[in-house]
Amino acid sequence: MSKDGVLLSIQGLSVSFFTDEGVVKAVQDVGFSIKKGRTFALVGESGCGKSVTALSIMRLVPEPPGKIVGGEIVFEGRNLLALSEKEIRRVRGNEVAMIFQEPMTSLNPVYTVGDQIVEAIKLHQKKSTSEAWADAVEMLRKVGIADSQQRVREYPHQMSGGMRQRVMIAMAASCEPVLLIADEPTTALDVTIQAQILDLLDDLQRQNGMSILLITHDLGVVAERAEDVAVMYASRIVEVADSQRLFAEPFHPYTQGLLKSLPRLGFSARRLRTISGTVPEPLHFPSGCKFHPRCPIGCGDRRCQTVEPRLREVEAGRCVACWYAKGYETE
Amino acid sequence: MSKQVREKANWGVSYGEMVWREFIKSRLSAASLIFVVVLFLLAIFAPFLANDKPFVVRIGGRLQFPLFRYLRASDYCVFLAATVGVIQLLLIRRNRRRLDPSVRGAVLWRQICISSLIILIGVILIFVFVPRKLAKDYKAMVASGEASDAIFAPIPYGYGRTDLPVREQPPSRRHWLGTDDVGSDVLCRLIHGSRISLSVGFVAVGISSVIGIFVGAILGYFGGKVDFVGMRIVEIMMAIPTFFLIITIVAFFPRSLLNIMIIIGITSWTGDARFIRAEFFKLRKQDFVQAAVSLGLPLRSILFRHMLPNGIAPVLVNATFGIAGAIFIEAALSFLGFGVAPPTPSWGQMLSLGVGTTGRFLWWLTLFPGLAIFFTVMAYNLVGEALRDAIDPRLRKAV
Repeated sequence: MSKDGVLLSIQGLSVSFFTDEGVVKAVQDVGFSIKKGRTFALVGESGCGKSVTALSIMRLVPEPPGKIVGGEIVFEGRNLLALSEKEIRRVRGNEVAMIFQEPMTSLNPVYTVGDQIVEAIKLHQKKSTSEAWADAVEMLRKVGIADSQQRVREYPHQMSGGMRQRVMIAMAASCEPVLLIADEPTTALDVTIQAQILDLLDDLQRQNGMSILLITHDLGVVAERAEDVAVMYASRIVEVADSQRLFAEPFHPYTQGLLKSLPRLGFSARRLRTISGTVPEPLHFPSGCKFHPRCPIGCGDRRCQTVEPRLREVEAGRCVACWYAKGYETE
Repeated sequence: MSKQVREKANWGVSYGEMVWREFIKSRLSAASLIFVVVLFLLAIFAPFLANDKPFVVRIGGRLQFPLFRYLRASDYCVFLAATVGVIQLLLIRRNRRRLDPSVRGAVLWRQICISSLIILIGVILIFVFVPRKLAKDYKAMVASGEASDAIFAPIPYGYGRTDLPVREQPPSRRHWLGTDDVGSDVLCRLIHGSRISLSVGFVAVGISSVIGIFVGAILGYFGGKVDFVGMRIVEIMMAIPTFFLIITIVAFFPRSLLNIMIIIGITSWTGDARFIRAEFFKLRKQDFVQAAVSLGLPLRSILFRHMLPNGIAPVLVNATFGIAGAIFIEAALSFLGFGVAPPTPSWGQMLSLGVGTTGRFLWWLTLFPGLAIFFTVMAYNLVGEALRDAIDPRLRKAV
C-alpha cells in the first residue's frame, strides 16, 4: 500500500525492438500512475506503443527482439522490472490480469472453456476440482453467460466472439486481480456487445474494487468509462489528465485533433475533420516533436522541428508535452 | 450431475472425435488401419496361432494343457499389456458417453496412471514368478503313441525348433510357406516376427518422439540463442547418415532387441524436434499462449498443456511414418546381420536367409517376409498420410 492510493506507477519506461532493419523505439520515456479502484485509459492510434506498454507491465514483451531498456514499473512497492521470473509469475494472473484484443484466438481451442477457467482458479486458490468447477460456473454466470452450467462444458469454437470475450474476462477476474489490463477489449466486437462488455468491466470493478488499465483507440469509450486518461503518440505520452478536463479542454494539438475528428450528436457537419498525414513509421520518426509534420500549429516552427518537448505538469494533475500548450512555457 | 450427463448430445465434439470422423471417411485409410489392427492381433495371439505344443493332450490317461503351461514370461507380458490396453480403450469410450467433460480429463489421467502402473508391476511380477520351463517334444510323443487326443494350434510348429530333415523346403501342405535353413516353419516365424517388428516400431518411435518433443519444445519456446545452439546440434545430428551411425553403434553393443530399439530411438528424433520447434515458434505468438502466460501459469503447463496439444499433429503423423521407418531399419539391420540374434524371429533376418546360406535362391524365404515388410510399412505410411489429411483443417469439410 503506497500513499495517496497509487497502485501502479510507471516512470521513464522505454522499450525497444532490435530488428534487422534497425532499432524500433516502441515506447520512450513513458510514465503515469494508476490509482486504486479507478479506471485509467491509455489512448492512441495503432502502433503508438499502447500495447507494448501494457505488455511491459506483465513483462510479456517478446524478448528477443524486444527489450525493456529503461525505467521502472512500481506495483504495490515492488519494481516489477526487477523481479525474478518466478516472482513475476506470481504477480501475473494473481495480482495483475490481462484481457486481450482478439477474443477469437485468446482461448485455447483444445480445451473446454471450463477447463481453462478451472486451471486459472486452481492455480491461484487452493481449491478442489469440483469446487473450482462450481466457481467457474458461477464466474460465467457473473459475466452474463446464460445457461452457464451448459456453456462451461463447451469448446471455444462453439461460442461467439462476445461470449469468448466474456469467458476471457471471467478467466482474468476469477483470479481476483487488483489490476486488470484490458488491451482493446472491445475492438474486435460489434457495437452492441462493446457496451455490454464495458458495463461488465464496470460491474466487476465495483464488486472487487480493482483498478483497470483500459487500452483503447476509442475516445467515446474513454469519455464514459475512464477517470484518468493518457494520450500516446508515436511512442511517447503527449498528454495526461482526468477525463473531464481532457474532454473539456484538450491542451495538446494531437488530442485536439482527435476530439475534433469525433462525430458528435447535434452538430451537423458535411465531413468529419481529420488529422492530416499519417502516423510516422517507427523506424523513421521525425526529429523534434514527433507530431510536428501533422501539427496545425507547429509544422513550420524551428523549435518544434528540432527539440522534442518533454512531458511537463502544466496544471495540478495535468501534464502535456507541447511547446505551444497553455502554461508550458512558464516552466 | 446425472441430469447434465443425460443431455450429452449438447456436449461439444472434441478435436479427437473430429479427426477420427475425417480419418475413417477414406476407405483406403480404414483398410490400412484394419491391417494394422490385424497385425496387432497376430502379434498378441502369436503363441495360440503358431506353437509346437498342443492346447490339450492326454498323457497316461490324464489331460494336460502344455501350451498354456509353457507360455513364456514375455507372452504373459504381451497379454497383460494388451488386456489393459483394451480395457483402457473401452474406458475411454465409456468416459465419452458417461462422464461429464468437466471431470473427463482428471478421470482419464487417473485411469492412464493406474493402467501403466498395473502393466509395470505386472511385468515385474511376471518376470520374477514365471519360471523358464523346458517343454517336452509333444509331437514326438504323439507320434510314438505315448500321448493321444492332442489338439494343436493351426500352425503346429515352434519358431525356435530346428527340424533339420525338412530344411529349406518350398511351400507345401505341411509347411504352408515353406521352411528355412534349419527346418523352422516360415509362417510360424513370420507370425512371431510381427511381435519384433511392432515392438521395434513403437518403442523406437516412442523414445524418439519423447526426445524430439522435449528438445523441440525448449528450442521453439525460448528461441534466440538457445534455439541457435540447439538447432546447430540438431543439424549436426541430421548430417550424420543415421543408418551407418546405427550400424556403428550396434557393433559396439550386444545384439539385443532392446538395444536396437533404443539406438533407433536416439538417432531419429531430429525430425520430431524440428516439427515441434516450428510449431512452437508459430504458437508462441498466439494470443492464447500469451493469455496463458499472463495468467501466471507455470512453464510446464504452458509448454506441454497449452502449446503441445496444438502442435502435436505433425509429430503424430511423423510417428506413423517413423514406425514404418523403424520397422524398415530393423529389417535392414537384421538383413545385414546386425539385428536380433537367431533364433529370435525377425522379418529382415528371414529375408537374408533366402540368399545367404547355401548360395541357392530360396524364393519363399525372400518373398513372404518381403511382402510382410512391404505391406506393414505401406499400411503405416497410409495411416500416417490419412492422419495428416484428417488433421489438416484446410482439407476438412464442414463438421
